[in-house]
Amino acid sequence: MPPVVQVNNLRKRYGEIEAVRGISFQVETGEVFGLLGPNGAGKTTTVEILEGLRKADDGSAVVAGVDVFADPSLVKRRIGVQLQASAFPENLTAKETVEFFAACYDLDVDALALLRLVELEERAGQRQETLSGGQRQRLSLATALVNSPQVLFLDEPTTGLDPQARRNLWDLIRGIQSRGTTVFLTTHYLDEAEILCERVAIMDEGRIVALDPPRKLIDDLLARGFSKPVLRQRANLEDVFLDLTGHQLRDA
Amino acid sequence: MRQTARLTALLLRAYLRDRIALFFSLVVPLMLMVIFGYLNLGDFGRVSLAVDDQAKNDASKQLLSLLKGIETLQITEESTDEALKRLRRTELDVLVVIPKDFAIAPARPGQTVPQLVVYGDDARPQQVVVGRQIIAQVIDRLSFAVTQTAPVVAVKDETVQGVRLRYVDFLVPGILGVNIMQLAVFSVAFALVGDKQRGVLRRIMATPVRIPNLLAAHVVTRLFIAAGQVAVLLLVALVLFNVTIVGGLGALVVVALLGTILFLTIGFALAGWAQSENQVPAIAQLITLPQFFFSGVFFSKNAAPEAIRPITNLLPLTFLNDALREISVQGASLWDVRTQILGLLVWIVLGFVLAVRLFRFERF
Repeated sequence: MPPVVQVNNLRKRYGEIEAVRGISFQVETGEVFGLLGPNGAGKTTTVEILEGLRKADDGSAVVAGVDVFADPSLVKRRIGVQLQASAFPENLTAKETVEFFAACYDLDVDALALLRLVELEERAGQRQETLSGGQRQRLSLATALVNSPQVLFLDEPTTGLDPQARRNLWDLIRGIQSRGTTVFLTTHYLDEAEILCERVAIMDEGRIVALDPPRKLIDDLLARGFSKPVLRQRANLEDVFLDLTGHQLRDA
Repeated sequence: MRQTARLTALLLRAYLRDRIALFFSLVVPLMLMVIFGYLNLGDFGRVSLAVDDQAKNDASKQLLSLLKGIETLQITEESTDEALKRLRRTELDVLVVIPKDFAIAPARPGQTVPQLVVYGDDARPQQVVVGRQIIAQVIDRLSFAVTQTAPVVAVKDETVQGVRLRYVDFLVPGILGVNIMQLAVFSVAFALVGDKQRGVLRRIMATPVRIPNLLAAHVVTRLFIAAGQVAVLLLVALVLFNVTIVGGLGALVVVALLGTILFLTIGFALAGWAQSENQVPAIAQLITLPQFFFSGVFFSKNAAPEAIRPITNLLPLTFLNDALREISVQGASLWDVRTQILGLLVWIVLGFVLAVRLFRFERF
């Protein structure tokens, strides 16, 4: 199968700052692909260009078989999007929020089925703004799935969530992948990338500095003679936290 | 069309759930109406009107006796010189000078039309407006009664019986106008700047929604709300204050919707310009407050200082209030208020251009 995202020599500059400095990569159909990097590395700019929300200065990008620069509207039809720091229209219930986005795509969907998929069915009649952070991220997934997208773009999906909610969201993302949707996510949680992603690209100062499966990146580092200065812990604080508080979602 | 309808249905549902927005679009206008109307803050008692009858013929006597029959008027007969002095001392509200050639007869080509001269006291604009309106209507009735044809002075509505214009009758169209302005400017500006700031518009722009449809949904939602608001206000005015609405409700609604569209364009322009919700009230007040006072809401628009009247007469709300009031109080038709409608249309075009320049969904 051809790659579902194909990026060639992408460049974007904001005034003096070169946010993206000629990057190229591919995302294979059906994989979970992670774009990692510190804040300001150019992750969000890259994703928003691929989503047809920003114009690039140079290069090319084909997403789900569509040239993003030539037809951003068609790209939007074929992808699902979860933006960083976005919100939904106020005073709508969870179900109405899904219906609102279905109307934006001019599609008829079974809003309740989508909510069931993200384990929010029993919150269908609740006002969107009264949902917890984790619930809202799950609602956000539901709205990103209204058009049965070929690629799902998730920009820092678990930022600000508690450990239980993060794990729950990982399960949902794996479930979405298992139904054949390619997932493109950005994160700066490396454990998340290690657990979820088949391949990761690490971005720094507008460039991709590494692109491989997480295991290979780690093996390569070790092969270069790297070793952690401390003994490997057999458990960390998060393990303690989850042992004490359980894996059960708190706000579901 | 279908997309617009679906989005409108959802936006409308969200709007009706927003208690604060509903409060401002219904309770505040009702409060204004009750305070000014029920407590009769604007009550000015009677209009003291002096008549200088220089004609002393049958026609002028007939006019005088008709005027004397109107309880709102307190009539005295005196010379122009004397009355002008008293006018300047604010002891009188209005002076009517009946010219020597006064007659009620169909106009003949080439003949000059007898002119009533009406002096009004600048300091008491409400009384002057009421006085002028009463005189105009009495003239109309009189000329119709005598000539049985369209009279010299254009007859606005021949069916008017007994002029009993009270302050609430004057007030209600003004309240309608000002609330159309407030609702359209504030509701759009607050909602959309909030959506912009919180990233709602950005999220929506990540879908392939057709922007004109989304825009139309926002506009139609507010048109529905405005129509509901107008209906409730009119109902309360009719039931509680027994307000007389002389003109057609249809014409009133058409003008109200035109006014809503006009102020919506201003709301969109403001929403495009403002970067945060904090900027909205300041700018919105700057736009609406002068119109609140100078466009004839609670008092005649002539309460504005004469020096700035050429400007205040061109304010959007002035056109809206004038049209609403002429329809409601004088029974004017849409054709009669075509000047005001033209003014509204010009403002709609200006507002639309401004909104398109300042508000771009694509940018979010």
